[in-house]
Amino acid sequence: MYFFDPHVHMISRVTDDYERMARMGCVGVSEPAFWAGFDRGSVDGFRDYFRQLTEFEPTRAGWSGVQHFTWLCINAKEAENVELSREVIAMIPEFLDKPGVLGIGEIGLNKNTPNECTIFREHVELAMKTNELILIHTPHLDDKYKGTRMIIDMLLEDDRVDPGRVLIDHVEEHTVGLAREEGFWCAMTLYPVTKCTPSRAADIIEMYGGERIMVNSAGDWGPSNPTAVPDFIMEMRRRGHSESKIKKIVYDNPIEFFSGSERFEFTPPDVLRENAPTRVDAD
Amino acid sequence: MESVQSAQEVFDQVYLDVRASLLVLAASLDRIDRSEGAAVVGDDVRRQRIQEGIEILAGPGRNRAEQIQVLFSDPYQSGWNQPGSDS
Repeated sequence: MYFFDPHVHMISRVTDDYERMARMGCVGVSEPAFWAGFDRGSVDGFRDYFRQLTEFEPTRAGWSGVQHFTWLCINAKEAENVELSREVIAMIPEFLDKPGVLGIGEIGLNKNTPNECTIFREHVELAMKTNELILIHTPHLDDKYKGTRMIIDMLLEDDRVDPGRVLIDHVEEHTVGLAREEGFWCAMTLYPVTKCTPSRAADIIEMYGGERIMVNSAGDWGPSNPTAVPDFIMEMRRRGHSESKIKKIVYDNPIEFFSGSERFEFTPPDVLRENAPTRVDAD
Repeated sequence: MESVQSAQEVFDQVYLDVRASLLVLAASLDRIDRSEGAAVVGDDVRRQRIQEGIEILAGPGRNRAEQIQVLFSDPYQSGWNQPGSDS
């Protein structure tokens, strides 16, 4: 079955992961900007990062026949540096016309602080001015419920925000209903220990249905599994769900949401195979 | 989209996993209790939350996972973003 991984930090993964994902049916990924494991010191550090996301990663993904899309922002973990955050937000428009840029993300909260809220609102303001889709990061563990509700409160403050153009990520049992009640898209992250397992994600699908929802690996530089979406597919099959219902969650839904961006130019995999680029070696 | 399996089929499928998970929980609590300073851990709010979680598991319902998620969540204050709010 073909699938999209709508949230995976491929910059942190090796080329073999693209190859392995492609062999398991991955035809597209979307890569939100995120925290590098350390706080970056300058706007130029982000400029280089955004160049890598918009120039080299699509090329590297293409070697395995995977189409790469991306999102731009400064992550909530770095929002305590308000001055740098504002410099990055002012710089983002340099990249908004690049092919494959789907919008602003992953923005959100981490520890639910006032500075994080300030920078979140300023990201939303940029997205409204430039008519971009928004991808939302929700906090982990004890902070998630409160943070998700705060994020939704802030989004609902702004009459310009169309919930159908916002994806709230990392939802779990206690937050999926909050996102869906207000008409937002949502996604479940299949991530060891701190987020959802494939089995719990399947439970949530059975309880809430398959509309406006997707699953992702959020694979990154930490313990994570970039082939977690196929694990979800297997769990759904094991439970007897039809191929069409599974495909809706792992392929149709991401494409439907991403189609809200005019820069989402997705080529169906059968067409892509005929025009695959030649791979070059790193050395 | 509801479950397409019967309760018996689901139970047969998850039985060994649930059994194993209970054993991990039991062994972890045993390990804490046989270690030096176990009484101090008993006063740790996290240990108390785990006890409350066990009680949720033992109770009835169809949303135990959601209840446990809420149990381990910071409280949310409605109206935090309204003028005059202290938060």
